[in-house]
Amino acid sequence: MWEKVKDITRGHSLWMLYYCTGCGAIELPPTMTSRFDMERFGIGPMATPRQADILLVTGYLSTKTLRRVIYTYEQMQSPKWLVGFGSCTLNGGIYHDSYATINQLDQYLPVDLYLAGCMPRPEVIIKGFKQLMEMIKTGEADGWKQYQDNREWYRENQKKALGDLLYTTR
Amino acid sequence: MLQKDFIAKIKQEFGLDPAHIKAVAEKKLAVTVDSGEALSFLIYLKNIDFIQLSLITAVDWIDENRFELVYTLVSWEKNLTVSVSTFIPRDNPVIVSVRHIWPTAKYYEWDINEFFGIIFSGHPEMGNPLFLEGWSEKPPMRKDFDPQAYSYERFPSRKYDYKVENKGRVIE
Repeated sequence: MWEKVKDITRGHSLWMLYYCTGCGAIELPPTMTSRFDMERFGIGPMATPRQADILLVTGYLSTKTLRRVIYTYEQMQSPKWLVGFGSCTLNGGIYHDSYATINQLDQYLPVDLYLAGCMPRPEVIIKGFKQLMEMIKTGEADGWKQYQDNREWYRENQKKALGDLLYTTR
Repeated sequence: MLQKDFIAKIKQEFGLDPAHIKAVAEKKLAVTVDSGEALSFLIYLKNIDFIQLSLITAVDWIDENRFELVYTLVSWEKNLTVSVSTFIPRDNPVIVSVRHIWPTAKYYEWDINEFFGIIFSGHPEMGNPLFLEGWSEKPPMRKDFDPQAYSYERFPSRKYDYKVENKGRVIE
């Protein structure tokens, strides 16, 4: 009962951490500023992972950045949601045959919502966020719970892509 | 300095065959030298005001079984850009480092060592990782490395269920 009330309130105030790994970051300034103005929906940018609710991964992830994204995601406090942005996180996009980039983000981290496109326009971002808010209110977006429950599976995939470098400083 | 005068100057002072010098554009020259005399030619250029090393890069000519190394040098006083290219065998890719002549060469040479496997003797970072983490395959910029096979083997791809209704064909 209380969880449902909490979910409804959570869906109205989202602080977003944007991890600008790839070219998709260029669509975020127009989304934030006066033309599309995402603050009218209650989404604001946040500077640190520990105070953010949403992690937005914009674009391709090399194995090197994937490791940092995993650290960032694990630093965030639950409940937390992960949005994959662009086709690169979805299926590799134009970098599907690159030796350095991963092909599918949801093998390594639980993705609640994907925004398809190369690149998605600000309209898509806003529409996607509205859908994410609905999913949060209904309790449908529970990637963080799945990450806790299936931790072994995720850890195995992370180890397969990163080798023994996971949780090392170099 | 005019390009014509500069070519004559190189010929006179260094004794290089003018057939190895090619004028690419009005203020750009491409010079090909042997790998043995590459270092002395680069030192000679440094002494005549080519103080800026803009780039070192490598090309993998797999059919000819050799690597090409290209050093791009800029002189601000002469207003000229010279790219010095030299060839080294692919089986034993070793060349002398120019890190002590231009300190900027440190990262260019380290980068080439990581991505092509060329060894710059006299460089302390050979074999240490710079960009790639935990890399155990052959250097990825070599032409005989297959990035697609590596990517599909190591990173799982998404499977799609789709039905082909009209298969495309080549019209001749």
